[in-house]
Amino acid sequence: MYTLAHSFILCSLLQRPGMHNWIELPGCQYITGTTCDFSSVKLSVFEKIQLRIRAEKGNRTSPWHEVGSFIPFRKAQIGPPKVHLKAEDKAIIVNISPPGTKDSLMWAMDILSFTYSVVIWKNSSSVDERTETVYPGGKIYKLSPETTYCLKVKARLRLHRKVGSYSPVYCVNTTVENKLPSPENIEVDVKDQSYVLKWDYTYENMTFQAQWLRAYFKKILGNHSDKWQQIPGCENVRATQCVFPQKVFSKGAYFLRVQASDGNKTSFWSEEKRLDTEMQTVILPPVISMKSVDNSLHIYIGAPRETENKSTSQHYPLIYEIIFWENTSNAERKILQKKTDFIVPNLQPLTVYCVKARAVIEDEKWNKSSVFSDILCEKTKPGNTSITWIIAGVCTALFSIPVAIYVVKGLLRCINYVFFPSCKPPPNIDQCFSEQSLKNLLLSASEEQTERCFIIENSYSLVTVEETSQVDEDHKQYSSQTSRDSGNYSNEDENSGSKTSRELLQQGLV
Amino acid sequence: MTTGCILQIALLLCFSITALSRSFNLLQFQQRSTNLECQRLMMKLSGTPESCLNNRTNFEVPKEIEQPRQFQKEDAVLVIHDMLLQIFEIFGKNLSHTGWNETIIENLRSELSDQIDRLKAILDENTEEENPTWENSTTMLWHLRNYYTRIVQYLNAKSYSSCAWTVVWTEIYRNFSFISTLTDYLQN
Repeated sequence: MYTLAHSFILCSLLQRPGMHNWIELPGCQYITGTTCDFSSVKLSVFEKIQLRIRAEKGNRTSPWHEVGSFIPFRKAQIGPPKVHLKAEDKAIIVNISPPGTKDSLMWAMDILSFTYSVVIWKNSSSVDERTETVYPGGKIYKLSPETTYCLKVKARLRLHRKVGSYSPVYCVNTTVENKLPSPENIEVDVKDQSYVLKWDYTYENMTFQAQWLRAYFKKILGNHSDKWQQIPGCENVRATQCVFPQKVFSKGAYFLRVQASDGNKTSFWSEEKRLDTEMQTVILPPVISMKSVDNSLHIYIGAPRETENKSTSQHYPLIYEIIFWENTSNAERKILQKKTDFIVPNLQPLTVYCVKARAVIEDEKWNKSSVFSDILCEKTKPGNTSITWIIAGVCTALFSIPVAIYVVKGLLRCINYVFFPSCKPPPNIDQCFSEQSLKNLLLSASEEQTERCFIIENSYSLVTVEETSQVDEDHKQYSSQTSRDSGNYSNEDENSGSKTSRELLQQGLV
Repeated sequence: MTTGCILQIALLLCFSITALSRSFNLLQFQQRSTNLECQRLMMKLSGTPESCLNNRTNFEVPKEIEQPRQFQKEDAVLVIHDMLLQIFEIFGKNLSHTGWNETIIENLRSELSDQIDRLKAILDENTEEENPTWENSTTMLWHLRNYYTRIVQYLNAKSYSSCAWTVVWTEIYRNFSFISTLTDYLQN
């Protein structure tokens, strides 16, 4: 700190990081005081800067004193906001302008982030103080008419951990109580595809009108009375409610307000009710289908039935809450599932189980869920009983019998081939032989050769003995037949020959 | 079936299972919804002739935003919140020379404001606990704000002309693709 015994002149320079030139700081050249204002400098308040100062007197200069580098925004403190008050009978409208001037660079990017807290008390007694957080164009309600209220406001930037200083105290008188009170207890409900706006009013035979405003207008400064718009279907209604279609409001947040009128006079506007269309979205219940598999249930959760075309089909991240119970008892079991296709195992066989499910938005803070779906009941299958095994056994047997027969047949053929081969030569072997005699040799066809033996005696009795080899009766029937005994072979000529000799013998003897 | 066919089917199954098993939380869903809606509304704003794009300036997007490395969820919330805040402010400036539909601008700002509120609620929770990484996060914030300061200074310098707004429109539209990338880091 330089004390001013003589007219010291202070000079200060500015440097930006990354640049090696010191620049003269406008508004801080040749200052005779110990403070200077360099607000006019067009620099970014988020850039790190360095300052250095020296004193000059005539030709002599002191060495530079460097101030460490800093970001102006970080060092900045929030000043008092400017407040403009307007009183009603039971409320005060607090129009707050953010700290700094309109062109100030410091808070230009944070205007939306300011939160304002108001401390208000009755001028007569500073005991009952109230602290409230208000929007820039906000109102303080629940006041008494014809009373002097005083308040002070401070701004706060919570994210950057900055708290501003209080504004000076402002006082205002609330007006005489209005003959017509404002409507109270505004509620918004959803019914089918419409919103139902309801409110309470003490008197009868009044007409009402309702207006809406986009929520963000409340956060930016200024008087937005011209931005309020009529809600269609809510102008001059006689009932204490009005209905308007949902598609009036696209997705977003709004404020609604209602005013009463008796033809001549109007009341003040009611408290503003915030409507968040996202909070009003109706989640449709899912559609369940079930299948019983042994002693468990396979549950499928399907998308809800779309009743009408929604302009934006919101596919929120959902989890499903499934409740199931035995039809006879009331003991309910709850499962939370994210998958849409799962199995509930280990249930009692041959029991009827009932299931219902609902969709829940997957978020800790938002407690939104659909209504429960229709109840579906299904009986579990018998499961591991003997009947199943019997059926299985019978089927296996039926299938295996032809297989066994086929296998056995094959085996028998095999055995026959190995142990009892037949001596038939291959059928086309006669092609290999051209000579008939050889053929006959190999392929003897006819019956067995029978050798006839004659025993001739000196007696007159003739005994004809026929010797036949062992021949099957069947073989006589065939003309060409091989015999079993490979040695014997028959000759047709000889047979006929032997016949005739027999006849001759008989004739000779006679 | 050939082994190539089987390999393709196996890969497809793996990818689809991975994609389906990612659990989106509500915040991420809402942010994606906002991103899409804002881009849709911006497309509805009428453009000006291409000749304006000759005046394009490099506003120097901070590297951390353009090519984000691994982001913590808290930092992602902080950055996205600030970006939406600045875009909201920019669209509140003098638009008289653009001829843009006022209702669309109001819808756009309304959408931005709602998402800003949701992100702010989360940030307010986080600032209640003293965060040791606050210093690093704010450095990123200063770079981001310097970037937006350059855009506003550009608009000022060009007296909010129609051509200047076209250039800024292009830059803001590009911002939304950065925000979409950062939205991926909003997972728990």
